[in-house]
Amino acid sequence: MSLQVYILRRLLFVIPLLLGITVVSFLIANAVPADPINANLPQNVLNDPEIVGAFREKWGLDKPPVEQYLTYIGNLLRGDMGMSIKTRKPVIDDIRQFLPATIELSTVSIIVGLVMGVSFGVISAVRQNTIIDYVVRIFALVGVSFPVFVLALIGLSILHAQLGWVAGPGRLNFVAKAPPTVTGLFTIDSLLAGQWETFRDAVSHLVLPSLILGSYVAGIIARITRSSLLEVLRFDYMRTARSKGMREFWVIWRHGLSNAMIPVVTIIGLSYGNLLAGAVLVESIFAWPGIGRYMFRASTSQDFPAIMGVSMLIAFIYVAVNFIVDILYYFLDPRIRVA
Amino acid sequence: MRTKRSMLILSVVMAFAVLLFTGSLIAQDEKVVVIGHAESTDSLDPARGYTQTTGIVEQAVYDTLVTFPDADASSIEPRLATAWEVSEDDLTWTFTLREGVVFSNGDPFTAADVVFSIQRLQNITGSPSFLASGIASVAADGDSTIVITLTAPDPAFLVKFANGAFSVVNSKQVMAEGGTDAEDAAETDGAEAFLNSASAGTGPYMLESWESQVQTVLVRNPNYWGDAPYFDRVIIQNLAEAATQKTALESGEIDLATDLTADQITPLEGNADIGIYRGPTTTTHFLLMNGDAEIGGPVSNPTVQLAIRYALDYEGYKTLWGGGTTPASWPPAGIFAAYGEDKAFKRDLDQAKALLAEAGYPDGFDIELSYPVFTYQGINMETNAQKIQSDLAEVGINVTLRPGELQVSLEEYRSGQQGFAYWFWGPDILDPVDSLSFLPGGKVALERALWLEEGADPAIIALRDQARVESDPDARLEIFHQIQDYLQQSGPWAPFLQNDTQVAFRANLQGYVLHPSWTLDVSLLSRAE
Repeated sequence: MSLQVYILRRLLFVIPLLLGITVVSFLIANAVPADPINANLPQNVLNDPEIVGAFREKWGLDKPPVEQYLTYIGNLLRGDMGMSIKTRKPVIDDIRQFLPATIELSTVSIIVGLVMGVSFGVISAVRQNTIIDYVVRIFALVGVSFPVFVLALIGLSILHAQLGWVAGPGRLNFVAKAPPTVTGLFTIDSLLAGQWETFRDAVSHLVLPSLILGSYVAGIIARITRSSLLEVLRFDYMRTARSKGMREFWVIWRHGLSNAMIPVVTIIGLSYGNLLAGAVLVESIFAWPGIGRYMFRASTSQDFPAIMGVSMLIAFIYVAVNFIVDILYYFLDPRIRVA
Repeated sequence: MRTKRSMLILSVVMAFAVLLFTGSLIAQDEKVVVIGHAESTDSLDPARGYTQTTGIVEQAVYDTLVTFPDADASSIEPRLATAWEVSEDDLTWTFTLREGVVFSNGDPFTAADVVFSIQRLQNITGSPSFLASGIASVAADGDSTIVITLTAPDPAFLVKFANGAFSVVNSKQVMAEGGTDAEDAAETDGAEAFLNSASAGTGPYMLESWESQVQTVLVRNPNYWGDAPYFDRVIIQNLAEAATQKTALESGEIDLATDLTADQITPLEGNADIGIYRGPTTTTHFLLMNGDAEIGGPVSNPTVQLAIRYALDYEGYKTLWGGGTTPASWPPAGIFAAYGEDKAFKRDLDQAKALLAEAGYPDGFDIELSYPVFTYQGINMETNAQKIQSDLAEVGINVTLRPGELQVSLEEYRSGQQGFAYWFWGPDILDPVDSLSFLPGGKVALERALWLEEGADPAIIALRDQARVESDPDARLEIFHQIQDYLQQSGPWAPFLQNDTQVAFRANLQGYVLHPSWTLDVSLLSRAE
């Protein structure tokens, strides 16, 4: 199968998937026995039928659900994701505001997780059943099973508040000004604007949250890398490579790791998707204004357009990440090219 | 081994990075105060926003014609109006405006701005518009007089009028940005985006920027007509998690944390760098006993309702939360005409048991208690629900707890489906008329407790009708005292706790006051030097 056909097939699959997501998220959002009126208007305003009526009419809540859904899809096809009930701004603008913070944190976190996870996994596999292996495996277990928000709170109160080693909550110091928006990623925007101080500030605020999210991801990656590599290490071609006189580092790197990578790449893709879908608790604790916080607010206020918009965004992210993973398979595993 | 060495290098690089990027704050010559706050607003437009955050910003950047004292809501004081009078029939209010006031952009403040602001509030029909619903018309009489006509006499008019929703905006500037006060303003007003990014007021500060869910920045208004505030710049940083606020306060990144819970305050008490403010709130925690026998079951019986009021361990709730007030009835303590704690119910288990026997339940009964899983102002409702359960067990009432997700439970509560429920109420209007909602036919009584006008005691209906229109303070005092006496004996409510709230700040921050209306006035803050 040529790469083009492969890509096209994957792309065509995306359309029904996204449509399905809108149906499911609309059904779930509507199934909750709560009224957006209660969630969005203060108590005393509910006394005023005029205000309540105007609110229902404005957001189309006076129409039957099927009509609400069809109107939504109609608008969506014209590229209009609708207005958020909560923020009264176009959902697309809200996403534009909140997504970059999440992208920045997730990307740094996945890199931290990847570097830590793969290194630990390799060390652990190569030194199987030694003390190093046990230490790494315990680390991985803790990383995976320790609630991430507890780690965040402990990290913040010890490493930041008490020891002062790392910067605290927020994307920047509270008194600092954000760099002029180009990408929305503060690290890149500050460099583009030549604001070295802001860059330093932005990076320092990424350290703690990305270490915490990264170590969670690293736990999973380390375990998968270890088991996958252990399997590969038993193969004959490893012995052949060594007997050719190849140095151990290259044996592991070229013959071992590259063949052990397929499950690792899959799990990295999934983890990156997870991070982008919003680590709500970590975002809350670190006052990180990302998409997870936005989704949380949208859900608690029954903000249908925002819920649907973010659900589709998240679905799209998963599809995109999986797509990239599939393309990577294509390169990593020659058998896919042949099949 | 190679891998070992690369790991070593990696750890050195990481350690270096951590050291490199952990740094000092950017030097500031300005006087800056940073407030950690769980942002609750979606609009800083006074005609649209109606939340705590909006209230804080309105108080800083706008002025109303009349206002409350700095620390409480015990009286009405002049602000943009210097004097006012009301006609014989209590329908026409005439305000004389302050001379020589200019907006932050230098435009003079005139009567036209007041007319525009009030009509815009009415016609936008946003969340705070209900405050203006009793206003029939507003007109300027020359440049410095305003005449407001009401649809009916309203003893709480000035209290409502002191709300930040009545903030006066610069009509010229707002109109230039697409604003309108026309009747169809709900559809045609386009000034919200402008008012979310800048302010058009006469207050001590100006809004420099608001990034929703991130931070709000206020800077001093150079044209302010009153005394200049101490801080040049106020940063209200959104920290949604109370735990994060605590950490940021301890590390000194913020000067004031507005949302700490009671259990987070306790460990801060010994900290010399931290000051703590404790004060009463008007938030009232209460039991609702549905008047419809099909829904309420045994608790729809007025004798059982009284028995439950006798059975609650009022002192115990205060002990549980390290302070608070036992409300006597509605309105909550602290509001005009409210009884003090001395008149509150005292627990009397014998009396409660006798009443239950009289009602035909000598051995008690089984019932479900509905409440939301929610923590408000640091009070965890789950904890109180458990205490209610154990209090009532002592008189033989076997309570099964029925917690619900907030929005779902709220829906049941607001549509009158809950038979026996635990909720709280914070008055929207700091006047006893707010509590008329709890009398037969009132909003809360009618729709949530099904305490209907039809079949209610004519005596309480008569009191309610008098309370709605009476404006003489002595007469009001008498009427509301009678209402409270009545509610203590009858009615589907058992208010049991008015919680305290606490705010923590850096010890060098001065001037913090918790206000019942706008919660925080940043212009009163200063730093000890």
